[in-house]
Amino acid sequence: MRKDVAIGLPLLVLAIVVPFAWPTRYVVEEMTLFFIWAAVVTQWNLVFGVAGVFSLAQMAIFAIGGYVTGMLGLYLGWSLWLAMFAGGLAAVVFSALVGVACLRLRGAYVALLTLAITQTMYLLIITDTECFYMEGVTCRNFTGGTRGLTGYGDFGFHQLLPHKYAAFGDYFLALAVLCTATAFSVFIIRSPVGLAFKALRDNTVYAISRGIGRFKYQLLVFAASALFTGLAGAVYAGHFRVMGANTLYLSQTLFLLSMMIIGGVGQIWGPLLGAAALMLVDEALKEVVEWRLLGLGLMLVVFVVVWPKGLAGGVEAIARRWRRDSVRAFAAVRPEEVASAKE
Amino acid sequence: MNTAVQILVSGLTLGAMYAISTIGLSLAWGAVGVLNMAQGGFLVIGGYAAYAGATYLGLSAPLALALSALAGAAVGAATYFFVIRFMLDCDNFETNVIIATVGLALIFENVILQAFGAYPLRQPVRIEGGVNIAATYVPYESIAILAASVTAMMAVAWVLARTRMGRAIRAVSQNRAAALLMGVPVNTVYLQVLTISGVLAALSGVMLSTITTLAPTMGYDPMLKAFIVCVVAGLGNMYGALYAAFALGILEASVQFFLGVRFGFPAMLLLIILTLVWRPYGVFGRGVTQRF
Amino acid sequence: MRDDASTVLEVRGLVAGYQDHEVLRGMSLALGKGELVTLIGPNGHGKTTLLRCISGLVRPSGGEIRFGGESIVGRRANEIVARGVVHIPQGDLLFPEMTVADNLMMGAYLPSANAAAETRLKEVYELLPALQERRFQIASTLSGGERRMLAIGRGLMSGGQLLLVDEPSLGLAPIAIEHVYSVISSLRQRGWTILLVEENVNRIIDIADRVYLLDAGRIVWEGAPHTLFDHQELLEVYLGS
Repeated sequence: MRKDVAIGLPLLVLAIVVPFAWPTRYVVEEMTLFFIWAAVVTQWNLVFGVAGVFSLAQMAIFAIGGYVTGMLGLYLGWSLWLAMFAGGLAAVVFSALVGVACLRLRGAYVALLTLAITQTMYLLIITDTECFYMEGVTCRNFTGGTRGLTGYGDFGFHQLLPHKYAAFGDYFLALAVLCTATAFSVFIIRSPVGLAFKALRDNTVYAISRGIGRFKYQLLVFAASALFTGLAGAVYAGHFRVMGANTLYLSQTLFLLSMMIIGGVGQIWGPLLGAAALMLVDEALKEVVEWRLLGLGLMLVVFVVVWPKGLAGGVEAIARRWRRDSVRAFAAVRPEEVASAKE
Repeated sequence: MNTAVQILVSGLTLGAMYAISTIGLSLAWGAVGVLNMAQGGFLVIGGYAAYAGATYLGLSAPLALALSALAGAAVGAATYFFVIRFMLDCDNFETNVIIATVGLALIFENVILQAFGAYPLRQPVRIEGGVNIAATYVPYESIAILAASVTAMMAVAWVLARTRMGRAIRAVSQNRAAALLMGVPVNTVYLQVLTISGVLAALSGVMLSTITTLAPTMGYDPMLKAFIVCVVAGLGNMYGALYAAFALGILEASVQFFLGVRFGFPAMLLLIILTLVWRPYGVFGRGVTQRF
Repeated sequence: MRDDASTVLEVRGLVAGYQDHEVLRGMSLALGKGELVTLIGPNGHGKTTLLRCISGLVRPSGGEIRFGGESIVGRRANEIVARGVVHIPQGDLLFPEMTVADNLMMGAYLPSANAAAETRLKEVYELLPALQERRFQIASTLSGGERRMLAIGRGLMSGGQLLLVDEPSLGLAPIAIEHVYSVISSLRQRGWTILLVEENVNRIIDIADRVYLLDAGRIVWEGAPHTLFDHQELLEVYLGS
């Protein structure tokens, strides 16, 4: 736990300093998006890396958060601050339903079913052509259809903050979601629930004989992680002032999946590392954008085949070797002191 | 009466499309546990290979089909050599294969997109014409797909059940260590299965593209439907997959007719979830229910 | 240790293990043609690992294995069985969803064995008539004793000279164990060279030619089975009896 704080705190300070040090629109905008995706990936990592459920419904949960927030704002006139939490709760309910339907199945079946759920949501939204209300002479659909859902406003930072700092509002809101999401993730991984999952992975028979039921814990993590995923969706909707079916594109799901895989599945700091790496790579590939998919695909294949522990696993291995080397160097001088230092 | 025939005809057409997309996938997943997410890419590559053969090389239809089969075999074998081979001994084989083949799918899509462009093309390797059945126009292609899917499914089922190679494939899927002890070259079996699955997928891709169009992303939808067919039928059951494909096709056609086209897929999904809650290993599946 | 022309199997200085945990630490033994040799020793000390190394399921990290005068160390399992090493593994490892007959036919998978499959099948059914009665039954529905028989029959279908049998009495009722051992004795009479792993010393006293006692990945004693009882200290230390 102390180690987690030692890593997390400097990162947080850095994130707070960045917009004041580089207050350009570009930096603030990219970082906000980074916080949103990183928050989603930390929760996905809990579901896949810790609970061992290979779900591909993460973006569907995200979209539920965003769409419910937008719809409450648009149709019921709720403030987005209130709607945001309703969106998070809706995501939890949705996720629990998906969990009940899927979690009793084996690995690959879960992946396929959740992928199908995401795809169904996408299809239902883009084929939505019925008029729900009229805006002047234009017909608007309930879900916003292919144009996306708009007209529900934003979090109102432009009224609250001086013009120069208006963009900081969304920045810090997204950062707050990421921080709580990360704290939740650390908490789960270090808690008895996280240990129960580790026990299940290491020795299923023993864990079951100790009365550790996988389904109950999986459902718990699946539902709880949806809260932050939904909140991230809500922040996304409020930030861009439009919620569209593009969040449900397969390529978007795969982009976030790559963040998780390349960062390191099941590791606390993997998602952050992966999200940062992927956004940087994406930025670097802007020049050759027509080969973006190829680059993404190659990275996925190479990491899974060659380096399945991801960047976080790599960092840890280097750190361990460094520690061992320093112990060894020390031991070469005075072995007995190392022995006593260990105690 | 006319309505019923109409639904039946379009249901069978859809079902045949599902069945033909399912064969290669079902073989690789059911027999050796490789859930190949690049299967859609295999379909696309097969379709474009036939297109390129006919358009650029001026090949006749049978030769273009042969070229497509060759391309399918090549990508299938490449998938084994560059990806599957390295994962055979790892713990999370199932999920890692899914992730790695998703990566392959992206690579295939990107390469096809750059080589042929995003604009949908018309597949030149086709049978022209059609007939009217109960006021529904049925292209000869649909009938060909129906015949091909039934034949191919039965052929694959026969190979698995009756031949020495089929027995070896089943042995590897049931107990890899024991298969090794019997002298089965396990790695070669994986290569064989992926190559055959590539050929079947490529030929399916040519046939599918005759009734839709050729596009770099045309593989995803049939692949998703094929997954659903496999899940409903239960893994590794070829005849079950055939029944499931046609049943789902007829179901989708009815829902489209009575509720509207956009509810076809969601209705299928709902049915699948209910099916799996009732039978977690599929309607025709025979798996042992795990305790956890 | 034997070292003449009739040596079928020779293992010298074998080192093997899983990940960072070493199981065999310089194991050496040899089998002459037609011998029935038993390997005894406490659980978890490398008996099964040795058999898995010989049949190629586990790749040793050092040492030498010679079969029929040629080195087979590091070869793949499917190549080793083609040379005539038959491994009847612990826990049977049947193909659970295949019929008894299909399981047996898998034993004759190799081209050389496939050619002789008809006659071998007849011999196996003669030796193990219960299998013939149940030839259309799915393997997973067999009883424990029948499964063991099927595992043995399937191994015999491969043909060869050396039989590695891993704890054939494990988990069986006394009467079934009796049957298994009578089958093993008759296999020996048919000319097989047999390396047998067994926990129960009393079982092997009457049938084994020689016994190797294994402890912590090494051979610690070798001799005729009845002389084992002259070394009470060995029995006490290693078998806890």
